[in-house]
Amino acid sequence: MLEVQDVVTAYGKIEALKGVTLRVGEGQITCLLGPNGAGKTTLMLTITGILKPRRGSVRFHDKDITGQAPGGIVRAGIALVPENRLVFPEMTVAENLRAGAYSRTGSAASEIANDMEAMYNRFPRLRERSTQMAGTLSGGEQQMLSVARALMARPKLLLMDEPSLGLAPMIVEEIFQIVRDLHKDGTSIFLVEQNAHMALQVAHHFYLLEQGRVTFDGTPGEMAEDEVIQRAYLGTRQTA
Amino acid sequence: MDPYLVSVLSNIGMISFIALSAYLLLLTGEISFGQQAYFAISAYGSGIATAMWGWPFWAGLLWGATLAGLAATLVAIPTLRLRGLYFSIATLAFAEMVRLVFEIFTYQVEIDGELVGPDGSDGFRDIRYIYDSNVTAFEYMLVIYGLLALVLIGFFVLERARLGSVFRMIGEDPMLTEMQGLNATAYKVLAAAMAGVIAGIGGGLYAHLTTYVEPKIFNVMLGVHSLAYGLIGGLGTALGPLLGVGIDIGFLESIRAISGYRMIVFGGLVAVLLIIRPRGILDEATVHWLRRRWRRWIHAQD
Repeated sequence: MLEVQDVVTAYGKIEALKGVTLRVGEGQITCLLGPNGAGKTTLMLTITGILKPRRGSVRFHDKDITGQAPGGIVRAGIALVPENRLVFPEMTVAENLRAGAYSRTGSAASEIANDMEAMYNRFPRLRERSTQMAGTLSGGEQQMLSVARALMARPKLLLMDEPSLGLAPMIVEEIFQIVRDLHKDGTSIFLVEQNAHMALQVAHHFYLLEQGRVTFDGTPGEMAEDEVIQRAYLGTRQTA
Repeated sequence: MDPYLVSVLSNIGMISFIALSAYLLLLTGEISFGQQAYFAISAYGSGIATAMWGWPFWAGLLWGATLAGLAATLVAIPTLRLRGLYFSIATLAFAEMVRLVFEIFTYQVEIDGELVGPDGSDGFRDIRYIYDSNVTAFEYMLVIYGLLALVLIGFFVLERARLGSVFRMIGEDPMLTEMQGLNATAYKVLAAAMAGVIAGIGGGLYAHLTTYVEPKIFNVMLGVHSLAYGLIGGLGTALGPLLGVGIDIGFLESIRAISGYRMIVFGGLVAVLLIIRPRGILDEATVHWLRRRWRRWIHAQD
């Protein structure tokens, strides 16, 4: 459903992405692995239109969305859960949720209220805290809010940039349960993760991004067999 | 009513417009040192319209505010691409340019044997529409507060509407706002235009109250003050900047004992508040807390 073709994105003279090609299948959980500074977040920001690629194309449902404004891309059906569980800290949980639906200018107020109700049912903790300032939530709660806010845009494809970063193992379990639930409900997911063990349990397809290039592309089975990935990300095989 | 009180209250009312203008930009996270430019543009524009072209007061005020809004839009389009400090410096530079242009701007016509109109650094005299129409100082004060009430109602509606919420989102995190599919730059230009119109209303009112304007009134101190009002009074509600104006003009200027030290006291107050309450007395958390208390109190009454 999403096809990234030979994308180059640069900050000034420095190319963070040096020709990235990958695809995200409909109804699948696709996982992007890679070390810090590999360009994972840059790729997310390029797909969502916040950064403009210097070269290459991004196609969504066979439509070219390269270089479109973020508004158009959100309306096309791609929403991003940004890195570091970003929320609007001085606004309430309810206001944060509503913000996720601001691009849906065509939806009736009652429809958006229904969707908010659905989010509160999915994440009961957000209902309890709906009138609280988002900045006062715990890390895990902020991550849930960040996911719920992205879902308020009713995306067909959800991009998640390291949702487990800096969270306690129990909360990480919870976040991955949410990923599974969302997938079961029919949302396609493109997940950036460093936690390869957790990712192996949910993802259908893997890419490895290193220094702005895709260096591995395969199924979970192939990935578990790959020697480099084992050493760097899974830590299962001892070096002889 | 005591004439001195009427004049102090009228001053508070007029300065409130420029304070609200700076506040609107603060909401979107932009610090402008240049809102006095739009105050000045409208003061001259509306004065020219009523004193030289014979327009009625309301038409002149509308014209001045429109000019200010247009100027603010034209300035916003290039400068809002700048961030933080760079934007602040650009607004300051623009406002000083406007002031210097008025220092050399001469445009006079003869009315009843007298030359009327802006005369460079000698200023612009005889904007007498209000006095010629026999409006008393008290009545004019009511006009100021009537318009201020309208602008405030506008702010209260805005705060509960999508647009106000988008402004706050941009103020907190422009990039995250973009990620919600919103064009942050376009919204910022809109905020700047609205802020220009609001400052313009104040400028038009000012010119017709004092009947005389000169370029040096619109110097950078006016801009710094308007900015400080929101930071002292609080950024959680539009009442914040009004509280700031009230503290400065109403309280500090009225107490004779400290009148000579007003600037020192005011500057100190800004410095202390920036440390202990960076978002002012009525900041978001306080306003949120007050609203909750208020709702609970309403419930208890039922």
